Amino acid sequence: MAPIIEIQNYSWRYSYAKMPALNGINLIIEEGAFVGIIGPNGSGKTTLAYSLDGLIPSQYRGIKQGAVNILGREVEAYPAGALQKLVGVVFSDPEAQFTAMTVEDELVFGMENLGLSVPEIRERLEWVTELAELGQLLEKPPYEISGGQKQRVALAAVLAMTPRVMILDEPTSMLDPVSRKRVFDVLVRLKEEQRNTIIVIEHNLENLASLADRMILLSNGELLLEDETHAFFEKMDLLLENGIHPPGAMLFIHRLMQEGYYASRLPLTVDEAAACLTEVVARLKPPGPASSRG
Amino acid sequence: MNAERPFIRVVNVSYRYPDGTEALSGINLDIYQGEFMAFVGQNGSGKTTLSKCLNGLFNPTSGDVIVDGLNSKTTSISQMVRRVGYVFQNPDHQLFNSNCWDEIAYGPRNIELPEPEVKTRVAEAARVVGLPETYFGEHPFFLPKGMRQRVAIASILALQPKVIIVDEPTTGQDARQSLEIMDFLADLNQAQGHTVIIITHDMPIVARYARRVVAMGSGRILADGPTAEVFSQPETLAETFIEPPHITQLAQRCRSLGFDPGTLTVEDMLRQFKELVA
Repeated sequence: MAPIIEIQNYSWRYSYAKMPALNGINLIIEEGAFVGIIGPNGSGKTTLAYSLDGLIPSQYRGIKQGAVNILGREVEAYPAGALQKLVGVVFSDPEAQFTAMTVEDELVFGMENLGLSVPEIRERLEWVTELAELGQLLEKPPYEISGGQKQRVALAAVLAMTPRVMILDEPTSMLDPVSRKRVFDVLVRLKEEQRNTIIVIEHNLENLASLADRMILLSNGELLLEDETHAFFEKMDLLLENGIHPPGAMLFIHRLMQEGYYASRLPLTVDEAAACLTEVVARLKPPGPASSRG
Repeated sequence: MNAERPFIRVVNVSYRYPDGTEALSGINLDIYQGEFMAFVGQNGSGKTTLSKCLNGLFNPTSGDVIVDGLNSKTTSISQMVRRVGYVFQNPDHQLFNSNCWDEIAYGPRNIELPEPEVKTRVAEAARVVGLPETYFGEHPFFLPKGMRQRVAIASILALQPKVIIVDEPTTGQDARQSLEIMDFLADLNQAQGHTVIIITHDMPIVARYARRVVAMGSGRILADGPTAEVFSQPETLAETFIEPPHITQLAQRCRSLGFDPGTLTVEDMLRQFKELVA
């Protein structure tokens, strides 16, 4: 796979701020990867998203150093509008991106702007409607549906434009468990279809860890860690130091590793952790005359 | 604990919104002084409506809410809010004064306390939430969210309610900020003796802090009990689309090895593991 995103020595300071929001970032993202970005609030996650779709530097005042390349070309070098066809952003507050009077119009709006043919629009509309389970909602006004439904509409609207890179900025932070699960279900299916590069900024690691191929940790505008997901979480001490709380099952197996009970791969899901624990207990449990009954 | 008189009694409460939606049906709940509770359930399950019935913002359509011996139907709002405080999910929905001091003083002034008493209460509430005096003159909107939430909580504390309900204290906060807010609520509960009720979707936070969980779905209570006990009923929780935290799920998945399905923390899991392999 070729790199679709290449960031070199990139720093950005908003003109109102004393300190840079991002500082000396170097990062390569391969096309088709599913990347999770985590970090405390104020660490530069959203600034990084804006830097990838060109909102920074075009819409913000500040000082830029280094380069952000999409498909080998600097973001500033794209003609107006061209970059946004390549890179789509779903914001954490979906209302900010709604303009139409029905969900269907909302989904079609972006595609019309791309100048797609009517049959093409119809086909993609069907695809995203099915994928994000929006069939019942197409006729409804976007402001009348629930928060979770809005989030799925926002995601589908960006997806319908089939950007090669899709960035989701805290897509589930305002959602209840059922809505959160459904948004992540859509992400699981997107990952299976592997149509594009997906970058998710998210605090909820219980869902993210099992999906991401690679993970990035930002803190105070610096990229502290970037690695394949297992290797990333194996740097547990660094994560904990930076106020990141990994899912409990993973943390538990990590503690077993620290204390020398287990030495293989760190599990990312509850299922993997259960398999690990079963194996460790079977190996270590003292063979009793009869198995103890609890 | 059950020998003492409940501070709040919710007796057969139903609540119907003017448009006919039944938000609560047949709720029975006793809340005792000093409890740390979590109300969980998906949006629309009735958590917030129930909370607003507890402090008299809403009066039940049928049934009774008795707080400190007073029936909410026959008690003025200003009497109710002295006993049960409700902190909105979004502090910005609640903050409206142009500086922090006035914001915190608003409640005590509104229940017509004498001005020296108002001053004492503001100072005390600010001290408890850790709001430095240098912030008193600041506009709340220019504070970081965590600090705005503290101002919101202080403005409720100034009314000195026995019970404080906080709606989604950790939404939009990162892990460190979440723990900071929750540690602060735990301190209010333990050191200051307030009954604390959180409304949240964050199950790891519930496992870590709440001693009792009320799980709601479609306006009813689906489960009510000690946190470990409620999390040990994944089928009931699934009805309201809640999954226990990963550590609890792991213990449940490995129950046949001898792990307690009500395990809530990594430390507890580790202790059980060591006993098992000893």
